[in-house]
Amino acid sequence: MLTIYRRLLRLYPAEYRDLFAEEMMAVLREESDEKANRQLIARSRFLLREIVGLVTGATREHLRVLFEIEDGLSLVTGRFAMRNGFRFPKVTIVFMALILAGVVVAIRKGEAIATSLPDFSQPVTPIHSGHSYLLPGVFAGFIFFYAAGLVGWAIVFALRRSGVHRLADMSGGQK
Amino acid sequence: MDDLPLTEPVLLILLSLAGQPQHGYAILKDVERMSSGRVLLSTGTLYGALRRLLDDDWIERYEEEESSRGRQAYRLTPQGRRNLQLEIDRMKHITRLATLRVATKES
Repeated sequence: MLTIYRRLLRLYPAEYRDLFAEEMMAVLREESDEKANRQLIARSRFLLREIVGLVTGATREHLRVLFEIEDGLSLVTGRFAMRNGFRFPKVTIVFMALILAGVVVAIRKGEAIATSLPDFSQPVTPIHSGHSYLLPGVFAGFIFFYAAGLVGWAIVFALRRSGVHRLADMSGGQK
Repeated sequence: MDDLPLTEPVLLILLSLAGQPQHGYAILKDVERMSSGRVLLSTGTLYGALRRLLDDDWIERYEEEESSRGRQAYRLTPQGRRNLQLEIDRMKHITRLATLRVATKES
């Protein structure tokens, strides 16, 4: 069992392993010793809980490192957030910029292909007729959806408050 | 206070550290005992929570004079204790309010 745990601990990010792997292994060893004399069902349940905990824990840590997302997974203990999971990941901005850049490059390539075709006295009408509006339209769309995303995020951020600050008013109304 | 309310596992971990510094295994057992066996934390879950509590400066590592290999104790920081107290006050407030509301409804 300890071999399984040791292998599962390798799933964690290196930085996390450096900090906690030895401690976690010590805890797992103590727990395994304690459960050694229990019934098969109890030991199986314990083993399953630990495996699921380690796998979800490793996934959560990778998500945190990659996307700055806390509590991407909470399969073991239900709602496990110490802080709200609604954080606006900074990488979203990068991804959106990359998508926009991809669209712009694709449009430029399309333009280049259309204009380089030989013997085309009549340009391809559908492309050229809408062409002058295409790039500004893409930019406008980008800005619109970006703004909508920000507004949505702001609403979610506002809603995440626990509402405890309103309890004083509610109890005040009781008097 | 954005980090409140706390979830039950995190609250129990903090309560476990409120009395004295504890090791990971002792915290697991304490949480199980305090919740009458209802909250069974896995090691992965416990250390995920400890990592976040360390990052947020709610707890800190506690160096013991006699510590065996791989056993690291943790204790509450003043900020962690303050936040725990805030959470307890919040829960008291809700309990009072709930009692009042239920009593009003019954009468």
